[in-house]
Amino acid sequence: MKRFGLLAVIGLLAIALTISVSCGKKKEIAPETPPVDTMPVIIKDTTPTPPPPPPPKPTLKESRFQTINFDFDKFNLRSDARSSLDFNYNLLRDFPDVIVKIEGHCDERGTVEYNLSLGEKRAKAAQDYLVGLGVTANRISIISYGKERPIDTGHTEDAWAKNRRCEFRIVSQ
Amino acid sequence: MRLPASLMLTFIITVMGFTSSFAQAQRDVVRNIFFDTLRTGDVRVTTVGVDDMKYIGNQYINQDDSTYMNSVTAVVRRDVDFYADFELVLVDSFYLEVYEIIDLDPLGWMRLGADYLVKLEAEFPGRNLRVRWRLFDTARRQQFAKGTVEMDKVHWRQLGHEIANEIVHTMTGEDGIFLTKIVYARKIGSAKELFIADYDGANERQLTNNGSINISPTFSRDGKSVFYTSYTGGDPHLYRINIESGQAVLVADYPGIVAAPAVSPDGNKIACVLTRDGNSEIYLLEPNGKIIKRLTRHRAIDTAPTWSPDGQLIAFSSDRTGRPQVYIMDILGLNLRRITWEGSYNDSPIWSQRGDRLTFVSRSRSRRFDLASIDTSGTDYRVLTEVGMNENPHFSPDGKHIIFSSDRLGPRDIFTMDISGRNQRRLTRHGRCSNPTWGPLP
Repeated sequence: MKRFGLLAVIGLLAIALTISVSCGKKKEIAPETPPVDTMPVIIKDTTPTPPPPPPPKPTLKESRFQTINFDFDKFNLRSDARSSLDFNYNLLRDFPDVIVKIEGHCDERGTVEYNLSLGEKRAKAAQDYLVGLGVTANRISIISYGKERPIDTGHTEDAWAKNRRCEFRIVSQ
Repeated sequence: MRLPASLMLTFIITVMGFTSSFAQAQRDVVRNIFFDTLRTGDVRVTTVGVDDMKYIGNQYINQDDSTYMNSVTAVVRRDVDFYADFELVLVDSFYLEVYEIIDLDPLGWMRLGADYLVKLEAEFPGRNLRVRWRLFDTARRQQFAKGTVEMDKVHWRQLGHEIANEIVHTMTGEDGIFLTKIVYARKIGSAKELFIADYDGANERQLTNNGSINISPTFSRDGKSVFYTSYTGGDPHLYRINIESGQAVLVADYPGIVAAPAVSPDGNKIACVLTRDGNSEIYLLEPNGKIIKRLTRHRAIDTAPTWSPDGQLIAFSSDRTGRPQVYIMDILGLNLRRITWEGSYNDSPIWSQRGDRLTFVSRSRSRRFDLASIDTSGTDYRVLTEVGMNENPHFSPDGKHIIFSSDRLGPRDIFTMDISGRNQRRLTRHGRCSNPTWGPLP
């Protein structure tokens, strides 16, 4: 009986040990499997259950993207626009999960229809430049607002210059 | 007894015959003056006086009824004055006072400068207002046409327009445009919604209510719906809204832009701009959005198509030489030729109903955006406006008037003018209005 009892105690201990060891292993592996930046995807998938305390994750603010400007009735990239796009390229490289939409805009001069096409050409020029630098094409979509969304409603050269632009919008990250 | 009766009949026929041939002669004169005016630059119009409406019943009329009479008269006067061939003669009260005239006869109107006189007589049967109109040639002091229009009093505006339509039809043989509708876009907050109104801007009603940007409206040929580009679904795509029900349906959502729709004269095709090839190209679509054919192949911007009245040619603008200029091609996309050479920016062409001219937005040396007109051969370039930024021209269904938007008075509003550039009028007063288009005859 004593022997049997001893065996039982050893058996229990062994089980407890394996459990504790396996638990210890799990704890060590756990932080490795989900990389920090795929966390939002996991959260998205399990929306009904209350999310665990969010770990610190670096997010990209839309306002960090630089707006680029154009000359009247032009869609070619000026040197200042290129350096702004280089800056935006670095952001896209540092945040590889960010997907953006480039909005092309025009000033109020010229017709609605022509400006709609021109705005798209501007957005496309910016998109092509970034893709040329190495951004995957499916991370950048484009849309033209023509002259429908001015940021300055004035009728001066100054206002027009501000309105001829491409803005970056974050679609997802 | 028989003889006088037949004599009477002969007399009536003679009178009728005389009346109709006389009216026909008047008509020919009036009809041709207008387009000749455009060619010669010489302004000759027919002057018409509209007398105050008289009550011819035998009861007392109340204040409301006399207000109806004055309102209908005002509508008729406004319509007559609006019409490109006519000029309204105003009653000179000084003249009346000096000569102590209480009631002007045709001779009096002739002295005021009127070639023709419209007399209006009112009765009030039941809830209705019945107006009899009589048309006089003031030089001959002779009535040569008359008619009666009767409607429920609440439709007094429509009644006035109907009278004006009949007067125009009698004098020119053409259909009056006074019961047509216009559609335009109006900014509300950050949204741009479509509105519909009478041709003169009255009875405005909101057509779309999607909180998005809605632009480039154009009527279907039957006038029952409007095609337009909307950002409702995110990207600018082609939609169609039923005017009566307000029901909107998606027509075409090809990748990129689907914009600048223009319905063919037979109503079976839509010329519009797609950017699915990575660049603005002009396509022909079926009214349900299915692609019939791609018409342009150029890496420049090709946009703003408009149909020739026979449906065989399309004019459009393209910046293939660096700046937008107007071109014409056939509906196979062949036989391309450039039309505009003057000015650094020529865009948004519209084809005149007679087929001989194009009107478009033109940026000249003045650096303004004006409306200009040119013969389809590329000759006889004329600037029609002289102030502000003018845009989005569209023709009235009779081809004699142009509706457009302008910021000449500060805020952007809707204006109309004759195709010669005369008779410029402001229709809206809200500001933030653009993209007007004119519907067909009802």
